[in-house]
Amino acid sequence: MISETTAPTIQECRWCGAGAPADASFCPQCTKILPLPRRRDYFTFLGVPRRLNIDPADLEQRFRDRSRQFHPDYFYNAPLAERRASLERSSYLNDAYRTLKQPIARIAYLLELEGALTPADKAAGAGATKVVPPGLLEEVFALNEELDEVRDLRSGGASKDEWTARLQRARQPIEDKRAEHERRIAEVSRQWDALLGRPAGDAERAGVLQALGELMLERNYITNLLAGIERELSQ
Amino acid sequence: MAYSNKVIDHYENPRNVGSLPKDNPNVGTGLVGAPECGDVMKLQVQVNPETGVIDDAKFKTFGCGSAIASSSLATEWLKGKTVDQALAIKNTDIVTELSLPPVKIHCSVLAEDAIKAAINDYKKKQSVTAKTVAAQEKAQPTV
Repeated sequence: MISETTAPTIQECRWCGAGAPADASFCPQCTKILPLPRRRDYFTFLGVPRRLNIDPADLEQRFRDRSRQFHPDYFYNAPLAERRASLERSSYLNDAYRTLKQPIARIAYLLELEGALTPADKAAGAGATKVVPPGLLEEVFALNEELDEVRDLRSGGASKDEWTARLQRARQPIEDKRAEHERRIAEVSRQWDALLGRPAGDAERAGVLQALGELMLERNYITNLLAGIERELSQ
Repeated sequence: MAYSNKVIDHYENPRNVGSLPKDNPNVGTGLVGAPECGDVMKLQVQVNPETGVIDDAKFKTFGCGSAIASSSLATEWLKGKTVDQALAIKNTDIVTELSLPPVKIHCSVLAEDAIKAAINDYKKKQSVTAKTVAAQEKAQPTV
């Protein structure tokens, strides 16, 4: 579901009772700061579409503009409720910007927002039933065994050059995989953005979201593997 | 988080660590992983083709203590069971035996998945072997 179609389009100003557009931050009538809406998301809050390719300069500009508007310093003399609204908006804005400015955090947030990867999912341990490409598991397993052997070599008194060379050799295929992974993420992200530009069916959207979800799972493994190698190299 | 004594015991003295020959038609291999934490678990069973009883089981797990304990316990339980009995092992049995806390339940799910994957691999090999034998017999009729 896209927020534009489901969110209420109008809100009532709690100070003067005038109607204001749902995405307005200030009442057009009495100009007071509006409380953080109950139905909200980072994309709408920053006024950007739910796309995965976002111009970082534009996003930063939007962040700065809003940051200036909401800053608690401008409200220190205002009534408590307005001070609170300013504080809530500022804090939500910081979370929104921090999340959306990083491409990977942005994808995770989108998946959560679209109900494709909920925190409850992760907590329930549904991960074990999620499909991980078998080829990837084999690579993960093989690399872990290699790391074990390197540890044995080290504890057996092998020279640092010897085991470092092995680790570097083991790292190369993972780095290649990482590069391929980044390419795939960019590709599927473009697919998602293209769907937003035209009327797309739910099935099509779900398919792209699922592909993104799988890539995010794959990413955990790749990140863990590289971190494991780094850890050994720093010994 | 406090591990139960049984988890610690399996973690410190894991049973049946190692591997069985992957290409042996009587050996089934299950390789599964938990994406959220990056754990990976390999579990193998060796089945006696005459009796259908699992006569050996090995595992190797890279992951947290609970994942290691779950797979270690699974291999202990597998030995001496028939293939069908093995499939009846539930992750909740492992949770109960090891007193796993809710956040570690996925480790037991992983172990159950590994058992199923290993048995399925064994069954697949058996049907392929049977087919190959049948095909060979068909191709070379006895005179």
